[in-house]
Amino acid sequence: MIGYLATILLLLLLAPILLSFIKAVKMRLLYKRPVSLLQGYRDFSKLLRKESLVSEEASAVTRIAPFLVLSPLLLVLFYLPPIAKGAFYVSFVDAFTITGLLALSTFFLMLLGLDSAGSFGGMGSSREAFISALVEPAMILTIFSVSMMAGDLGVGQAGVNLAHHFPKEHMASYLFAAISFFILLIAENGRIPVDNPETHLELTMIHEAMILDISGPYLALIETAASVKFVIFASLFAGLFLPFGMDHAWPVAAAIFVVKLFAVALAVAILEVNTAKLRLFKVPNLLGIAIVFAFLSLITYYVLGA
Amino acid sequence: MTLFFLLLPPLLMFAASFVKTSRTRKLLPLSSFAVLVPVALLFRLPKPYALWGEYLVADDLNTYILLLSSVVGIGVTLALLTLDRHVKVSEKELYRFYRFFGLFWVGLSLSILANHMGIFWIGLEMATLSTVYMIKTNRSPAAHKEAWNYMIVGAIAISLVLFGIILIYAAYKPLLGEKAMLFDALLANSDRIPSPFLFELGFALTAVGIFVKMGFFPMNLWLAHIERAAFYPVAALFSGILESGVMAGFFRFSTIAAAIDHERLFLFVLVYTLLTLFIVSFLIFRAKDFMRLFSLSGVEHMALIALFWVSGGTFAALLHFGAHAFLKPALFLSTGVLESTGRYHFAGALRGYHGTRGKVFWFLAGLFMLAIVSIPPSPMFFSELYGFGAMIEQAKASDHLLAMLGAITLLLVLLSVIFYRFVAIYQSMKYEGAEEGKTVYISEVLALTIFAVGLAALLLPGTMAFLKGIG
Amino acid sequence: MVDFLIGLFLATLITALFTTRLYRLLFWYSLNSLTLGLLALTVGSRIGDTAMLVSGGITIALKALAIPYILKTLSQKFRLSRQTPPTIKTQYSIILVPAILVFTFYLAEPVTHMVQGNANYVAISISSLFLSLLLMIEHRNIAPKIVGFLSMENALFLLGTTATGGMPMLVELGIFFDLLMAIVVVNLLLYREEVES
Repeated sequence: MIGYLATILLLLLLAPILLSFIKAVKMRLLYKRPVSLLQGYRDFSKLLRKESLVSEEASAVTRIAPFLVLSPLLLVLFYLPPIAKGAFYVSFVDAFTITGLLALSTFFLMLLGLDSAGSFGGMGSSREAFISALVEPAMILTIFSVSMMAGDLGVGQAGVNLAHHFPKEHMASYLFAAISFFILLIAENGRIPVDNPETHLELTMIHEAMILDISGPYLALIETAASVKFVIFASLFAGLFLPFGMDHAWPVAAAIFVVKLFAVALAVAILEVNTAKLRLFKVPNLLGIAIVFAFLSLITYYVLGA
Repeated sequence: MTLFFLLLPPLLMFAASFVKTSRTRKLLPLSSFAVLVPVALLFRLPKPYALWGEYLVADDLNTYILLLSSVVGIGVTLALLTLDRHVKVSEKELYRFYRFFGLFWVGLSLSILANHMGIFWIGLEMATLSTVYMIKTNRSPAAHKEAWNYMIVGAIAISLVLFGIILIYAAYKPLLGEKAMLFDALLANSDRIPSPFLFELGFALTAVGIFVKMGFFPMNLWLAHIERAAFYPVAALFSGILESGVMAGFFRFSTIAAAIDHERLFLFVLVYTLLTLFIVSFLIFRAKDFMRLFSLSGVEHMALIALFWVSGGTFAALLHFGAHAFLKPALFLSTGVLESTGRYHFAGALRGYHGTRGKVFWFLAGLFMLAIVSIPPSPMFFSELYGFGAMIEQAKASDHLLAMLGAITLLLVLLSVIFYRFVAIYQSMKYEGAEEGKTVYISEVLALTIFAVGLAALLLPGTMAFLKGIG
Repeated sequence: MVDFLIGLFLATLITALFTTRLYRLLFWYSLNSLTLGLLALTVGSRIGDTAMLVSGGITIALKALAIPYILKTLSQKFRLSRQTPPTIKTQYSIILVPAILVFTFYLAEPVTHMVQGNANYVAISISSLFLSLLLMIEHRNIAPKIVGFLSMENALFLLGTTATGGMPMLVELGIFFDLLMAIVVVNLLLYREEVES
């Protein structure tokens, strides 16, 4: 139980560091002086100290929504696969619940964008709706396919089963699911081929457009939500697709897990440096590929059993 | 040793294409006659004769096919001498043409003699790829487009063949091991095959690949366009040698398939060829130029040969095959002269020849034109008699007599459409249109004479007996 | 391991189908051939077949390194268009590709009982044959068509490696020879194209 809570705390603490890490790696690769890994914490504390301004047009939603954006994500943290063998985990939560909680968070984020009645907010919300509508089917297909291989619908239990019995005979469909999930990780977190979190260019921004007139502690909450979302996806990827190194003692296993998270972040950073951002209407193509792979994973598993 | 002499003329041609003097070119036809020596030797040797281990084995069937294609090769080499006088072609391109012709001939010889599915395929692929460049020697944009077309579609067809070969190999491998690539081993063990379904899947893919390569059902106009865009010797090579090589493969594969399930093979080929002939006969009816006309008629005859072969009329198929292998290249080579006044002129193409050479030429060309639609003295007449006889026998033995007879009647109706069209064209060539002077060169007359002699030799009782002995 | 490689093989081919840039396409083709070569090496070392090891090595050297490099040089030399948008829209391909896969997987189902070793490979190689055909169909430019042809060759090689436990060495070498000849012919055809335009 201690390990369980410690894991959640660890993930929460790691969340801002991972995003700063991606940024640092990208800057390093672009020959810039990298930011410190603690930049996320600095931003957070600075934002907390600032005054929070709310638009006159905004309703009560703007005051409630940031909390509701963050809380479903925090809930998901409790349902993730365990990081060490024998650790406590929640076994009954399946793909639908996790996708639903993520969608709930996204829903409030979109509401927040619409509430201030700014033109950017509406634009960002509609784009976010557009993308997340495409992400969801692929997400469910992928996690289902993995659960099928693991022999359990519960995500946490699936992680344990995979670690216990690696699906060697289903490597092909496992690989397809991994590819699909990685594309979803990028799309859902607004990384580069889909959205660029670092610019405020009105033509392209999605996530930033929604939170353009949020400030102070509210903004801190939203930023935290974004980093927690990344850490959720990264640890799902690590738990479901890199299921090894779990049978050591808790500290060692946790260290291995952290290394895996950083590896995922590194992969994302390298991908971001090497690709150009897609035009908004090309994004469905990318997500279509994710759906193709997710579907392929399912049929390969069912028809061929490979 | 025999193998070396067989491959010597094409290799010589390949080597000579690097020497840039026009005198060497004149020697090539003479050297190509030399190929007849090893072929004649092969006829005398006891069969089957292993040319190269068990990979290349000469038996009656492929010696016959090799003879046919060697004669065609000689004829085409002769006609190539005057290619630059009928069409515009640069010296450099002509050398390239010779180079790839040499490679083509080597590939086809290997493919015809192969007793090994892999070598059959390799030779065929080599021949296909070298033809691509021969099409390209014509400098027109159409030829350029068609060369790419040929490359792509030919590659697809050939890949389908290889795919089928691999499946056949996989079907037999548990039984025969590495020997599962040899045609004779496959045939000898056809009753012990572990998984007939796998073989049939492989055979179907191979057959479709072979059929596409010869311009059957889905790709009917494919070859016609390519031959139109290329120079006429390429078309002669296509119909005389390449299709012979491909057909030789079909003979081998279908013999094995017939040993496994004859009924299904026959139905498959019957339906496929009926579809092909149905489309081709109407395309022939609408053909407006010699190249497309002859090329489509080539598709028609190939379909007939395949049908005769699988319906058990091996003699008919081989006779038809031989007649077609002589007639079609002869006709294609004569288009060089026939079309010298314009591409789309049927009318008057057989008029306006002067001198002995001219007279011999128009006589032979007219004769070939009529022989291709089986007017009696032509070997095609006899082969079609025998072939349809075999088909009727097959129909009697099958459970669906009426349907089969209906199919045969439909076939005859389609053939009569083609017959009508050819006779009409012949009349228009001979009796319509203005007289325009055309030049005929001695090498072309020689080539046509060779083909005519070959055709006549097919009718000799000795040849007939030999062909009957093959089946 | 073999399953993993075979999955990677199919994945690279599918990604190549959605690629719109020539160099990326060549990169995916090279990766495709690399997985194929590694597959041949793995299978060959497992069943102790020297011929397959050799052909796996040749595959990596020729198809994964030499041919993509040559094609890249050729495309630079003849200034081929580097943008190769597929003529079939992506949203249709997204429907078409799974349809092809399901179709071929079920097509190959009866075969699966007849092949020694793991029979799924027949299904995967038939589907990659169809996907390479799709790659040839969906492009109008010549370079992607060549890549489609080459990946068709890869699909055949995959079938030969996995379904039959290795083709005879002679055949493998012959196929490589023909592949080289195809490249020579492609070079000549492209050469003429430049002279004419």
